[in-house]
Amino acid sequence: METRELLDPRVLFVTGKGGVGKSTVAAALALAAVRTGRRTCLVEVEGRQTMARVFGTEPWDFDEREIRPDLFGMSVDPEASLSEYLDMFYGARRISKLVVGSTAVEFATTAAPGIKDVLLIGKVKELERRREPDGRFAYDLIVVDAPPTGRIVNFLRAPDATTELVNVGPIRGQAQSLVDMLLDGARTHLQLVTLLEEMPVEETVDSAEALRELGVTVGPIIVNRALEPGLDEEARAALVDGLDNGEVVAAAGEAGVDLTEEDAERLLARGERHLHRLDLEERMRERLRGAHTPVAELPFLASREFREPQVSALADRLVELTA
Amino acid sequence: MPPQRRDAETLAAARERDLAEAIAERHVLVCTGSGGVGKTTTAASIALAAAAQGRRTLVLTIDPARRLAQSLGLSSLDNTPRQVAGVEHLDAMMLDMKRTFDEVIERHAESADRARTITSNRFYQQMSSSLAGTQEYMAMEKLYDLHSQGRYDCLVIDTPPTRNALDFLDAPKRLTDFLEGRFLKMFLTPGVAAGRVASKAVGVGTGMFMRAASRITGSGVMADLAGFFQSLDGMYEGFKARAQAVYRLLQSPESGFIVVTTPEEHALREARYFLQRLAQDGMPTAGLVVNRTTVPDLPHASADALAAAGAALDGAPGRRAVGALLGLAAADLDVAHREERALAAALHDLDPRVLVEVPQRAEDVHDVEGLAWVGRRLLGEAVR
Repeated sequence: METRELLDPRVLFVTGKGGVGKSTVAAALALAAVRTGRRTCLVEVEGRQTMARVFGTEPWDFDEREIRPDLFGMSVDPEASLSEYLDMFYGARRISKLVVGSTAVEFATTAAPGIKDVLLIGKVKELERRREPDGRFAYDLIVVDAPPTGRIVNFLRAPDATTELVNVGPIRGQAQSLVDMLLDGARTHLQLVTLLEEMPVEETVDSAEALRELGVTVGPIIVNRALEPGLDEEARAALVDGLDNGEVVAAAGEAGVDLTEEDAERLLARGERHLHRLDLEERMRERLRGAHTPVAELPFLASREFREPQVSALADRLVELTA
Repeated sequence: MPPQRRDAETLAAARERDLAEAIAERHVLVCTGSGGVGKTTTAASIALAAAAQGRRTLVLTIDPARRLAQSLGLSSLDNTPRQVAGVEHLDAMMLDMKRTFDEVIERHAESADRARTITSNRFYQQMSSSLAGTQEYMAMEKLYDLHSQGRYDCLVIDTPPTRNALDFLDAPKRLTDFLEGRFLKMFLTPGVAAGRVASKAVGVGTGMFMRAASRITGSGVMADLAGFFQSLDGMYEGFKARAQAVYRLLQSPESGFIVVTTPEEHALREARYFLQRLAQDGMPTAGLVVNRTTVPDLPHASADALAAAGAALDGAPGRRAVGALLGLAAADLDVAHREERALAAALHDLDPRVLVEVPQRAEDVHDVEGLAWVGRRLLGEAVR
């Protein structure tokens, strides 16, 4: 696996711990795919309309819509999937109307939670297999802003647990074909997103190992919000050795910034925190190397809100990484 | 007063207050917020601060980070409160969903035999470990249990890392709805699952639903499921009563919700929803904690001027280092401004009462000392 293979499979399941920017990265991956000539579908699962906000569009639903040239967006929910599924297998609108009410979905999610994942991943598989009249695939790449890693691992670890409850009938066969898709490295990558912080890194390393044991192909790990050092080696050494307040006041004064001694002291403390953080990030990189997967880094953006311009900047970086 | 000014005044007033009263007085404190915002750390810090005041305190965590768990002595996952080594009055425990569910069944089933029948059912096993909402519900059962034991003055609850922070608040109602719903009644009607339907008794459509469901799931599954729900018969009233009791406890003034967030847009949006929901449901809000904020070192400077000055410093390594420091100060100012705007937007027309900001540290909080550092900020004893 190499970083330039990032966008090569047919399906990317983008996953990671809460707060690491999984949705932002999924959107950036989809944009990068479009920019490298791929007809792409971005799929939001259990939608909170994050993507509609990022792209400034109407709310997304079960119908795929071309939101930008060659970029399609849709939101999968179990209810719509269940309805489509019943129509497909039973051609019975009447039954599907009856079943797809709150009680039936409650059944699907209450009595056998795995069924929900069968339905969600089932929809992704349908997108992946779909062909145009001329025989080409409808989409080159499907990017899924996926459920947390733990749930995907559970699903893969126990398609039998899902099917144990549902022991015959089409769902069982369906579950197996979904596992086949997930385990085929040419078709599917699990795309882990992390920050260079302790908790997410630990979880990512554990997940990568668990997923590989299950036979899943783990794509290059994407590090989000990596700090820019902003310092060359010599300047860093000077900071580590220690500057005194006077030196800071003097140099800043020459550049036209008037500082007090206290300002200088605070800045030096800030510098120390920065160095500390860079060291921590370096240790986390080292730890990630233990996952035996290449790592692709996306820079920290000062922005606290993620809209198309920010996502677009990250997509540019991803395109560079796959060149 | 123009709305913008009113918002600004509310924000400033909330900033002036702290969580000292909540930590000293309230009996139940619930930390809530979206994933990855530092809920567990906040909960542990609050508990430590309460214990330091001599209150017998328990922190109930759901999924703590490894090092934080170790520092609280939670390396064994055994679902019972353990004293935190070296900290007086403080116990900690980690919620084990399955274990809690088992305990509830054992305690409330009419006989040990009945309990065994239930816990060995395949649906029970699936539900008790992976059912969506079970975690929230089990956290509630545990809270009810701990509250009725009366061993603690202060119970600090770290809510499950759900996709939606509101799930915790909705868990009691969802359970009650389910227990009173058509779905369960259907299963509790004799003969339904076997397909021998008395349509008049359960309504038209039920039999059709059951037949359709059986075709999808395979025969036998629906019958087993019905058997499972029937084996729980007699316990439903208890489930309902406890869910309602917990809801009332959470609603009472001796409880307080602490909404936790980071200054990022998506987390703030969740925090806003949650604050609105608390107000709607008449739940007591203790305050809003914003973790990992950026505090600018040169708050009165212009970011652009600092950035330009920083870039202009060249020559000796020491000068370049000072240039980098000015660059950092410029970037921090930018980030701090954006954070402030995002926070103001999230709190538009809302009053969190208390707003505490906990600055970003160089390293994650993972020991008692770090928790105490956070605690001082929550108590309003340290500003930076």
